[in-house]
Amino acid sequence: MSDTGSTPRTVARFAEGLLAADLPLLADDRRHETVEFIGRRVGVLPSITRFGVLAIGAGVDTAGMIVGHHRVRRVITRLPLPLLAEYPRLVRSLGYAYIWETWPDTDVNGASR
Amino acid sequence: MTRAVHHDCDVLIVGSGAGGATTAAVLAEAGHDVLIVEEGSWVEQGSTVPFSLDQMDKQYRSGGVTVALGLPSIAYTEGRCAGGGTEVNSGLYWRPPEATLELWRTKYQIRDFASSDLLDICAEVESELSVQKVPGEHTDASDILRRGADRLGWRNDEIPRWMTYPEGAGATEGQRQSMTRTYLPRAFASGARILCDHRLDKITRSGRRATGAELTHTVDGESSAVTVAFRDVIVCGGAIQTPAILQRTGLRHRVGRTLAVHPTVKLAARFDDPVNTPEDVSVFQVKQFAPNISFGGSASHPGLVALALTDNWRDFGSAVTAWPELAIYYAAITSEGRGLVQAIPGVRDPLVTYRLTKRDRDLLGQGLARLAMVMLEAGAEEVYPSFKQAPIVRDRADLATMTSMFAASKASVMTVHLCSTAPMGDDERRCATDSHGLVHGTDNVFVNDAALLPEAPGVNPQASVMAIAIRNARRYCDERAG
Ligand SMILES: Cc1cc2nc3c(=O)[nH]c(=O)nc-3n(C[C@H](O)[C@H](O)[C@H](O)COP(=O)(O)OP(=O)(O)OC[C@H]3O[C@@H](n4cnc5c(N)ncnc54)[C@H](O)[C@@H]3O)c2cc1C
Repeated sequence: MSDTGSTPRTVARFAEGLLAADLPLLADDRRHETVEFIGRRVGVLPSITRFGVLAIGAGVDTAGMIVGHHRVRRVITRLPLPLLAEYPRLVRSLGYAYIWETWPDTDVNGASR
Repeated sequence: MTRAVHHDCDVLIVGSGAGGATTAAVLAEAGHDVLIVEEGSWVEQGSTVPFSLDQMDKQYRSGGVTVALGLPSIAYTEGRCAGGGTEVNSGLYWRPPEATLELWRTKYQIRDFASSDLLDICAEVESELSVQKVPGEHTDASDILRRGADRLGWRNDEIPRWMTYPEGAGATEGQRQSMTRTYLPRAFASGARILCDHRLDKITRSGRRATGAELTHTVDGESSAVTVAFRDVIVCGGAIQTPAILQRTGLRHRVGRTLAVHPTVKLAARFDDPVNTPEDVSVFQVKQFAPNISFGGSASHPGLVALALTDNWRDFGSAVTAWPELAIYYAAITSEGRGLVQAIPGVRDPLVTYRLTKRDRDLLGQGLARLAMVMLEAGAEEVYPSFKQAPIVRDRADLATMTSMFAASKASVMTVHLCSTAPMGDDERRCATDSHGLVHGTDNVFVNDAALLPEAPGVNPQASVMAIAIRNARRYCDERAG
């Protein structure tokens, strides 16, 4: 699996898309920094969890290339699919925790207040 | 190829947390040549902000993102630094309940386990760690819990902590008396050595005897091999790593099969005024329904507030901007479920699973509902429970709706209390070690950490871990001296 910096490319692409959709006014540099943080944390996950996240990430990315990343993201964030639903949950949890700890004045749409 | 660096010692102690540090101090003071190996780094108290992501990077295993798989999965955290969990935890001190000690003694056939002896050791620990209540003002988040419980007429207490305070100082001015400030310096003063950033990979064995240890030393991403020769090895890697180490050593009898935890569910509560103290937690706990259900306060950094709202971000998200007015609380339960820790050949980290029973799931729901009630009584404007599709709770009617919608499988369940993966006792059908931590079937492999507690104690466990570790270390000294 190829990497973008320390972040696996599949996870980076998903996290970028998810954060851009959730927090449309988050500045690009903040979003990139957040995605890098998510990648670092995915990189130190315990072996089996990391393997699972990277495998799901690769599957989601491939599906995204075929039917469109936006559509795949919508499906897996809305449907309570076991295991699969944990992927956006993990990315969101890490991302939101980083954003509000680093820039606590962030608005709910990502704008800085 | 470079040769591995080699060390010799009488006793190798793996891990420097609540179990390892106390063991090292007792043994070094009795004249044993002690070497401690610690996978994490030495991080000075105060050099990271408590409960921050930076602290999680530096002092937690896997940045704090570790999970026991199940339905639901349970997120857990382990300290990974000199001093282990004692460096990062909330410092809330509870003696083990006498009834629990008595139950363990009979059920697991633990020899020489008089509760009065253990409570005497607790008294020593309390003095060494300066266990005390807050001399000055409590935080608002603490007062909320007390106020809500008082209005309901529910029992609540301030829990003392291992903290020192300037005279009359408030809750946030305490200095945590963790192992790097107490038992580790005591061990060093008597000649013990520590190798930080050294991970024990494997203990080599010949029949009943462990013969040596293979470690990896990592600095700035560069790794090198290290070996250690010893007379005895005492494994104190915590309740997840200890069983994995034993299993990698080929020791599997009752090892890693009975992980016990205190599962918790959370909520965030919003008040009229600022109540958030990011770097501290509530020192009050509500014990009206103890031991089955207890309530307490969690760390409430803005990042953690955002995290607590993610389960229903669509409805809760807008509250994040009001994070100074929000604080996070938990309901913890005693669990009848059990988990497994399994080392998998060729894989670095163990697989951890946990299964909640139906009774556990029901208790989590009851706990969350009662905790929300405490918050409403304390004057919360809005309560945001941490489970998927949860409603915002503003009054008792919403509480009923919340209760009907709750399912443990939708909740963000987590724990920081991990025990019982190498239970002690002479009953070999139930226990991995004898009554003093010697692993069954070996002559010189001991366990002396949270893994030994036969069950989760129903209260914050560090005092139980320390008291039992000191008891066993003293016994070791008596036997090895003879
Ligand atoms: C966030 C948090 C809050 C908590 N709050 C409280 C509280 O308020 N009150 C309370 O009583 N308890 C609390 N606890 C629990 C308490 O910290 C633990 O019960 C206690 O630290 C367990 O002691 P231990 O010796 O078993 O393990 P630990 O203290 O976890 O120490 C184990 C050490 O072994 C090291 N290690 C593991 N594997 C290896 C290896 N292969 N090689 C070398 N070293 C290794 C680890 O890096 C670690 O430093 C909390 C825990 C956490 C994480």
